[in-house]
Formats: sequence, structure tokens, C-alpha cells
Amino acid sequence: MSATTAYVGPNQQRSLRACMVCSIVQLQGRFMSRGCPNCDDFLGMRGSQDTVSECTSQVFEGLITVADPKTSWVARWQRLDNYVPGVYATKVVGALSEEAIAAAEGAGIKYIPRDGSAQEDEPAA
Amino acid sequence: MADFLNQPLADDSGSEDDDFNPAPAVESDNDDVGDESDVDGQPVKSEAPQRKVNEDAYDDDDGEPPVKRRAAQNANEDEDANGDEDEDAHGEEDEEGDGEDLGEDDDEEDEEDEEEVQGHRRKRAKRDARLQFIDVEAEVDDEEEEDEAEDDELPDETHPDDLLDTAGAENDDRRHRELDRQRELAASMDAEKQAQALKEKYGRSRGAAADSVVVPQRLLLPSVNDPRIYGVKCKPGKEREVIFSITKRIESKKDSKDPYKIVSAFERGGTSMAGYIYVEAWSKDDVYAVLDNSLYVYPRTKCELIDIKEMPDLLRVQKTKMLEPGMYVRIKKGLYAGDLAQVNEVETNGLQVEVRIVPRLDYGANEDLQSTQHQAGGEKRKRAPGFMTSAATVNRPPQRLFSESEARKKTSRLLQPVSSLSGKTFQYMGDTYVDGFLVKELKIQHLETENVEPTLEEVSKFAAGDNDGTENLDLSALQATLKSKTAAANYLPGDNVEIFQGEQAGIKGKAKTVNGDIVALEVDEGQMKGQTVEAPARILRKRFREGDHVKVIGGSKYQDEVGMVVRIKEDRVTFLSDATNAEVTVFSKDLREAADTGGKVATAKYGITDLVQLDSATVGLVAKIDRETIRVLDQNNNMRTLLPSQIVDTIDTRKKPVATDRDGSEIQVGDLVKEFGGEQKHGEVFHIYRNYIFCAARAHRENMGYFVLRPQNCSVFATATGSKNRGMDLSKMNPELMKNKPPGASMMPPPRPRGPDRLMGKTVSIRRGAYKGLLGRVVDTTDDHARIELMSRKAPLSLPKDYLVVKDPVTGQTIDIGKSTPRRPGPADAGPRYGGHTPMRTPGFNGSSSGGWSGSRTPMGGAASGGRTPAWTGGGDGGRTPGWGGNSGGRTPAWSMSGGGGSRTPGGWGGNDGSRTAYGDGSRTAYGDGGRTAYGGWSGGSRTPATSHGSSGGSYDAGNRTPAWSGGASAPTPSASGYSGSRTPAYQPNSHSSSSLAPPSHGSASNSSNPWATHSAPTPGATTAPTPGAAGAPTPYDAPTPGGFNAPTPGGAMDHPTPRYPGGSGGGHGLGGGGHGLGGGGGAYGTPAASGGGAAAAPTPGGFAAETPGGFAAETPAGFADDDE
Repeated sequence: MSATTAYVGPNQQRSLRACMVCSIVQLQGRFMSRGCPNCDDFLGMRGSQDTVSECTSQVFEGLITVADPKTSWVARWQRLDNYVPGVYATKVVGALSEEAIAAAEGAGIKYIPRDGSAQEDEPAA
Repeated sequence: MADFLNQPLADDSGSEDDDFNPAPAVESDNDDVGDESDVDGQPVKSEAPQRKVNEDAYDDDDGEPPVKRRAAQNANEDEDANGDEDEDAHGEEDEEGDGEDLGEDDDEEDEEDEEEVQGHRRKRAKRDARLQFIDVEAEVDDEEEEDEAEDDELPDETHPDDLLDTAGAENDDRRHRELDRQRELAASMDAEKQAQALKEKYGRSRGAAADSVVVPQRLLLPSVNDPRIYGVKCKPGKEREVIFSITKRIESKKDSKDPYKIVSAFERGGTSMAGYIYVEAWSKDDVYAVLDNSLYVYPRTKCELIDIKEMPDLLRVQKTKMLEPGMYVRIKKGLYAGDLAQVNEVETNGLQVEVRIVPRLDYGANEDLQSTQHQAGGEKRKRAPGFMTSAATVNRPPQRLFSESEARKKTSRLLQPVSSLSGKTFQYMGDTYVDGFLVKELKIQHLETENVEPTLEEVSKFAAGDNDGTENLDLSALQATLKSKTAAANYLPGDNVEIFQGEQAGIKGKAKTVNGDIVALEVDEGQMKGQTVEAPARILRKRFREGDHVKVIGGSKYQDEVGMVVRIKEDRVTFLSDATNAEVTVFSKDLREAADTGGKVATAKYGITDLVQLDSATVGLVAKIDRETIRVLDQNNNMRTLLPSQIVDTIDTRKKPVATDRDGSEIQVGDLVKEFGGEQKHGEVFHIYRNYIFCAARAHRENMGYFVLRPQNCSVFATATGSKNRGMDLSKMNPELMKNKPPGASMMPPPRPRGPDRLMGKTVSIRRGAYKGLLGRVVDTTDDHARIELMSRKAPLSLPKDYLVVKDPVTGQTIDIGKSTPRRPGPADAGPRYGGHTPMRTPGFNGSSSGGWSGSRTPMGGAASGGRTPAWTGGGDGGRTPGWGGNSGGRTPAWSMSGGGGSRTPGGWGGNDGSRTAYGDGSRTAYGDGGRTAYGGWSGGSRTPATSHGSSGGSYDAGNRTPAWSGGASAPTPSASGYSGSRTPAYQPNSHSSSSLAPPSHGSASNSSNPWATHSAPTPGATTAPTPGAAGAPTPYDAPTPGGFNAPTPGGAMDHPTPRYPGGSGGGHGLGGGGHGLGGGGGAYGTPAASGGGAAAAPTPGGFAAETPGGFAAETPAGFADDDE
């Protein structure tokens, strides 16, 4: 795992990006080289600069490091419980493109906007 | 759906057991429809066995995993399905009961009881029956569907369908029917449900990921079984680092035997929860384990358990407002930090925004150095002054629209026009400027989107870009920005409102009550008239009619404007302002029917006639305040129209400024001033600021009557207080201004003597007034008065100094003090002046002045000099000394007058001891004499002698006229000394004329006595300088001198007969007297003198005697008498 550590030094934190689907936070280069560990099946970010910038956002806040997604309430609340351990964001600003949403839906993933709009909708639903 | 259920049931019943078919069908129907409860009775019996079968079937189901698995899709679901089934069964039971309660009357209670029992059975029976008919797989599947859909409809609908179907249908081919059923199921489900079903199916099949997706978050609330969350203090701003370091730690020990046990950790830096991180763990020790010895985090300091209820709050996320074009944002960093920007375009991902900014450019004014560096440093350097630098915003240029001409001035090579449709697009220093605005793509993290709260001034900068000058303010964009602020809470009961959204759109009415956001309105139009409808405020808008009188209540820059509605388009209302007669368009929400007609002026910060600062070098006077703008007359007499924001501040005018007008009078606020020249405007002074006077005149049209004058260019013609005199005229204090004025009365006042008054402490005698003759001591003095303690009286009295004569306390002699000192020239009297002049011209005088006073007493001096001078001694008689002294003294001044030392020397002075002595002596004497005379005789009209001298001089002709004479006016010294002194120079010319007479006398004189010789010597000496001729012929000279001299001076001065002189005022007598006197003085002398005198007497004395005596007599004696005492 050491090769794939989620750790990011303070000097690199400028180039962090968050996946708009699963909210995982990684370096941009990592999105490029490895894609999103959770969503790459349908987003296909690996190797595609455009896709990376389209589906990830530099604007996010509230870092969460999840060690054990299965047992973590935080992960469950954030709907991360089926994702890989790693660093996630509580809020990712930005809107996923229609195609990406469609791709996610096609893969059976219910796209939850991570920009806070989902929670606003909740009480209404 | 009903159909498909019917069919399978029918099929099933047909295939397995016909008997059972009706029962469940009836049952189920019965459940729904109470009336048919009677019918129930029959099938009930058969239910029991059915149930058994059913149960068997269930068992069988379990025994048939392959089929069931396929249907159930999930092993776990099996259990659930069973459970669900039971629950459903019970639920249905309850429903039955309910249904019966509703449907049946009280008298049927028995039946009801029975049914209760039956119901249970029936339930079973129903299930059983269904299971009987429906294929196990199908059945389970069916259940699944129902459960998943969370829909009660299916079972409900099933029953009647079952009933119908089972009633009429008997089928053989179960399989077929099932197939049909499923097909129809699929077909009957509407697309939406189908999609949902599909999604669920696939979602499930894909794995657990979708599980949580569908579960609403409210069902995910934490429970006691979840790990706890601990809040741990950390260094603010380092939250992310801490999280990453935790990540690192977790990863490092992940695969080890003893991994960290924490579950997760998170931070919410940037929100109000900065300074904390939160760790989800089972125990505090786990938290410590992972956090100990990490940077920036202090678990031992503070590590608190978060309450379960608060846990969701920790992760609450507020939606970021989505930006839309036209909205306003603020820029966070860089040159434009804090500036308002308008969103032009938002990229689809919402992270890049193109904004318009009012540029802050200095067009290279301060960047000469940098620009050269640019070229050297290349691209990287170019960024430095660019956009997102952290350059201090302190000295940034002001916001101004891009100006092509200015850009061309210095930095034209950085400017490139870009061809575009609008035609006003430029590329300048790497940025794009469109229509004067900087258009820039920015990342959203560089923008402040919350709490932008643009002010109208800022917004108007974006609005002012139109060519025609009209404002193209995008109200809707502004509203979008202000949306949050203008919650529609501004409805009041009585407002006419209209619902413009939703189902009830179009309903119009009058607001009855307003409760928060809910407005109850009474409909007053259309079908629902009279009814009361409640509607949320956000779907309401105010309704106006054309012609309504409205007032703007907020949300626009036209606040408080009042006018009449002329046009209504949707929610925009155009009205004609009462104040400006201009059409104004605002949102209807910002309007209210006006009760009043006037609006108050919005900008109360500045009042009319306030003095305001416009920039560091400009001030102005507020001349008019419009609704939005202020008109200011600046110091250069220009009227400017400004926004309140363009005014720096008012200038405090508490201090009273003063200016000086062209006449040198003071100008104060409130004075009436008149312009000098020009239009001759006159008005009242409102403000004086530095060199500007802000005035106002009602009669003046321009600039609302305000104008600015320069103080140099106006004069005060009425002061605020009405008096023209206002203290000192400042201009008089300016020596520059006084330079050209003729010296008049206001000459420089005489310098005051320094040091204590000499009179102080002196013993004085009073010589005038009531106290005349009394002695006293001066205890205090002022300029012209002295306070005197009389010897004879205790009380001091104050007397003019003039009244006093200083006495020697011991001898009682008069001492001249003060006034004759060179330092203290007397006042403008002839006397003092005279006294002053003479001594001053006398070189030796100074020396003698101080010490010689006492000696100046003629007798004394006389004695002394007499003693010393051999001539004198030769002369013998001391009594004569004074006379001599007088003579010599008289000559002394002559000496001096003749021009100083040079002349003196040749005169034989040099070699002559005696002469010197005599001289010194003489001077002293003369001095004393002169002084005395002056003093003594002044009051007595000592001038007379002077005049007499003058006149005598007149008789002398030229001599008298000599300036020396007049200047000397030495006349007073009645005594010959004065006379002679002054005469000497005068004589020089004179001497010539009189030379004919003189020689004989002279000769005799010189011959007869040494002193005379010496005397003559100096005299000529003195005279030589000016009159060589005289020098060459000293004789003539001497002749007159002694002659004239002796006659009056010695005689007058020294001789006792002096008193007599006056008495005998005949010319001849005078001369004779003189001669006699001289003769009396010394025989040797006398003769020549007499002769000389005689000779000289003829001309000189004539005039001389005639006058001198008069003055002489009067005073000299007195002085003498005094002195003699």
C-alpha cells in the first residue's frame, strides 16, 4: 500500500482534487495515473486529463480519512461505506456533467451531488 | 396489474385445486368489502387444510433453493421475505378488522368475533391459497416485488382480481399463464416503475454499493452501536495536514499485527469548526494511540466525546450557491481583492467562472522598471504585475474603465485590439478588456460568492457601460444576488397580491394576514372570489394597476421614490416619478401603494452647504443633494455631480478660519464679501478653506448661487457682527506693505532705554508745581513720571519727570542725568536735540561727558583748566576761567565740526601741551557750559539766545548762515562757548568777510597771550580744513573770533557782570562789556581783546550784543547762580 498511499504532503495539497462522484480526494496526478479507485469503472478518468478535470473538483472541503468504511458511521453517513479506505471530502463543489451522471447511473450508482444540495433535498423528500 | 394477478391465480387454482380458488378470492375481497363477509363463511372451512398445504409449500420452497434464489435475488431476502410475509399477513388482518369495523354494524359483533377467528385462518388460507395457485417462484417473486415497491396496492389489488379471476377462470397451463403474467406485468408497469425496478435490480446485482444510496440519510442516523466520535483540538489551519498524517499512520500499520483501531477521522476546517479534528473510534485510547506524537494535534489537551445527536451536524454541508451569469461576486485575492465582479459565464462544472471586473490600471505609470524587466524576464516575469498576485492592494490604482487612449500613451506595445463584433475588445498586458471591463476567467475558489451584498455604487459601475449613458442595470441579475436578502417578508395585510406560480397562478386578492412566509389572501376576482387562500410569499407578487400611486420601499436605488404607475409588465412596474418626472422601472415587490407623496432624501450624511473633501487636493461645497447624487461646487468653481461614495468626508469647520481680503481686512464666515472686478458678485461667506472662499448669493443664478472667490480678489463690505473694526489691521504689521508709506507720525518709536531708570533712587528737587523746591527721592519711575518720596512728607507723590532736577544728595548740586547722555537723546525739543547734537559731534565729548560733569561746572572746570593751562595761569584770574573755558569750549565744538582730528593736529595743537589741556579743558567747559545752559536755560526759552545768536549770526552774514550754525543752533549756550563752538565753522567763511577787522585784534590777541595763540591755533586748524584761506590767515580769523567771542561769551558766561549784560543791551555796550570783561579777565589779554574786541566789535557785536544778552541774561545767570552754589 505504501506505493499507493493516500498520504499527501502539505506541499502537494494544492493539486488535490476530489472526485465528484465518490468524493475521494487524491492528487491530480494520481487521478491521471490510476483513476478514481471507486468510480473509474464508469468514469474512466485514468489517463484522460479532460475527464479528470471534468469529473473532479479542486473545490472541496472537510477531509475525511476513512480506515474502515464498513464499520464507520461517518462513512455510512457520507455513503462511503462501499468505497475503499482513503481520504474523502465532505463537500465537493462542482456539478458533474450530464454524461458522467448518465455513466454513473448506467453503472448502477445513484449519483449524489456532493456539494451539499443532496442534504437540502433530504428533508423535503 | 390486476389482470396479471388474476390470471396466475386463476391458473394456479385451476391447476392445483379448484376448491381453494374461491376461498382466498372471496376472502380477500371480503377483506376489502365488508358487505361480503357473509360469503366468507363458506370458504373458511376449507382454509385450514389449505394453510397446511401452504406451509408445506413454504417448506418446499426452502427445499427448492435454485428456483427461489433466482427469484429472490438475494439469499438474505429469503428470510426477509418470510418475515415480511408474516407482517403483511398481520397487517392485512388488521386491515380486515378495520374494514369490518367500518363496514359492519354493532349487531354484527358476533359475526365479527367469529370473523376474527376466521380472519386468522383466512389469512393463512389466503396465503395458502395463493401459494397453491401461484407458482412458488412466482409467488416469492411477487412478494419481492411488493416489498421492494413498498406498495400495498399489489396485495390489495390482488384480491379483487383474484376473486374475479378465480371465479371465472380455470387454466391448465400454469407455466404459460405465468409467462403471460410476467409479460403483462412488465407491460402494465408504467415506464417509471419499470425503470425503478430495473434500477433496483441492477443496483442490487451490482453489489452492496447501491445499498446506502437508496436509504435516506435520515435512516442512517448514528446509534449507540456505532463508533464514537471524539473531537480533538488541533492547530487551526493545520487540519488537513493532521488528517493526512493520520492517513499515513493508518496506512503504515494497516497490515501489521497491531493496526490502529480508529475507524475514521475528519476535519471541517474552513467552517466554524476550525481548530478541531474529529476521530471516529471505539475508545479514547484508540484516539490517543493514533494521535500521540503527531504534529499540530493535541489529543491530551482536549479530546471530548461528541454527543450522538450532534454527530450528523459535524458533517453537515451547506450547499454552495450556484453561480449564474449576471450575478455578482467578490474577488478574494490579488489586485482586485474585495472588488465586485459580475459573472459573465459559468463553466459547466461550475468551477470556472468568467467575470467582468472594473479594471484597476495605471497604464504603466509606475511600471517603467518592471516593464523592462518583463522583456528580460520573459513570460514568468510578466505574471508578476498580473492578475492574481498578492500585491498589496494599498496603492492600487482606482477603479476605472479601460481607456484605450491611456493605454496607448505609454504602453502601446502591450495593447492589441482584438477583432470582435462589439469592436471594443482589447488585449492589454495579457488580459482581455471588453467594453472597458476586464474580462477574466477565475476559479471559483478565488471568488467570494456568499454575502456579496453589492452596493448600488458598485453595481452602477457595471451598469454605466452603455453608450447612450442610460443605465442598463440588470435588475434580475441584481435580484439574483440579493435574493437571500429580500425574503418576501415585506407583504403587509392589505397589499394587493397575485399568485404567479404554481397551480393557483393567476389568483388575485388582497393579503389578509401574513404569517412568516405564508400569506393568506382573500381572493377578489374570478371564480374563487371571497375565498381565502394561503400561499407562500415566494409565489406571490404585488399587484398594481396603472395609475396607482406607489412608493419604492426597498431593494433598489430608487428607494423612497414616489410616483404613478404607468406600465406593468410581469413583475416589473414602471412608474413616473413625482420628483423627477422620469420613468422608473422596479420590481413590484419593491413597491407599495403610497400613502404619502414625499420621500425623504436618502443621503443624509451630507447636508447642503457642507464643505466636503473630494480628494486630497480638492474640496467642495455641497450645493444640491439629489436622490442618488450630490452636486458639489469644487474649489475651482466647477459644479460636479458625484455619488456620495465619491466624497471622502465632510471637512470639519469647527475652527474659525480667517482670511484677509485685498484691503487687509479680515474675512470670516458669515461676512458679506464683494468680488473685486469680474462680475462683482457679492455674497455671504459660507466657508473659508485655505485660499478659497465659498460664498453664496441668492441673486446669483449659476451653480445654485454658490461661487468661489479668492480672498485677494474680494473685499468685505459687511461683517457678520456688523462692525468693521475687528482688531488689528494685519497688513499694518507687514513691513513689506509699510515700506512705501511716507514716514509719518507713526515712526518707529524711540527705543526704550534699557536697564533701570537712572532717576531711580536719585535725590531730586522739584522745580515746578505745588511742590516746587522740595527735595525728594525717586522711588519709582515710569516713562515720563516719577514717584517721589519727599523728604518732608511721608506719602509719595507722582510727578512728571520734567518737574524734577536731580541733586547731589550731599552737595545739593544739580546733576544732569539721563537726558544729556548720548544714550538718551531728548525728545523732539530743540534743546535736547541741540544738546544731543553738539556733544555727539564733539569727538572728545564722550570722554568728557561721563566724568566731566561735575567738572563741567564752570567754576570748577575753570579752576582746573585754569590751573593747568599755563596760559591760564598766565592769564591769572580764575574768575576768568569760565570765560576762557567758555571760549575754548566754544571752539572745541568747532574743532569737531571742522572735521575731526585731522584739522586739529596741524593747528599747532600737536606741539602744544597747553593747548591740549586747554582743549580738553575747554571741551569740558564748553560742554558743561553748553549742557548747563541747555538745561538751565531751556525752560527759560534758552532758545532766544539761540535765535539771538542766529540773528547775531545774521549780522555776521555768512557766518550765521553757515549750516553749522543752524544745525548747531548752539545758540542756547548763550554763553560764548556755545556760540563760539558753533560759530567757528561758521566763521570760516565769516572770517573772510570780517578779516579786515580781525587782523589787528588778532595780532594783538595772539601776541598778547599764549592761550590765545593756542586758541587761535586750533581754531584755524579747525578751520583750515575747510578753509585754507582761513588757515593761511589765521589772524583774521582769530580776530573776529575773540572779538565776537569775547564780547558775548566771556562776558556773559563768566563775568559777574553778565547779569548786567542783559541790562545793558546796547551793541556798543555789549562790546564794550565784552571788551571790558576781557580786559577784566586779564590785562594782557584785555588789551588785545579790547582792541580786538573793539575792532571786531564794530561788526560783530552789533548784532551780537543786541540779541545775545536778552536770552543770555535771562538764563545764564540762573544757571550760574545754581552752579555757583
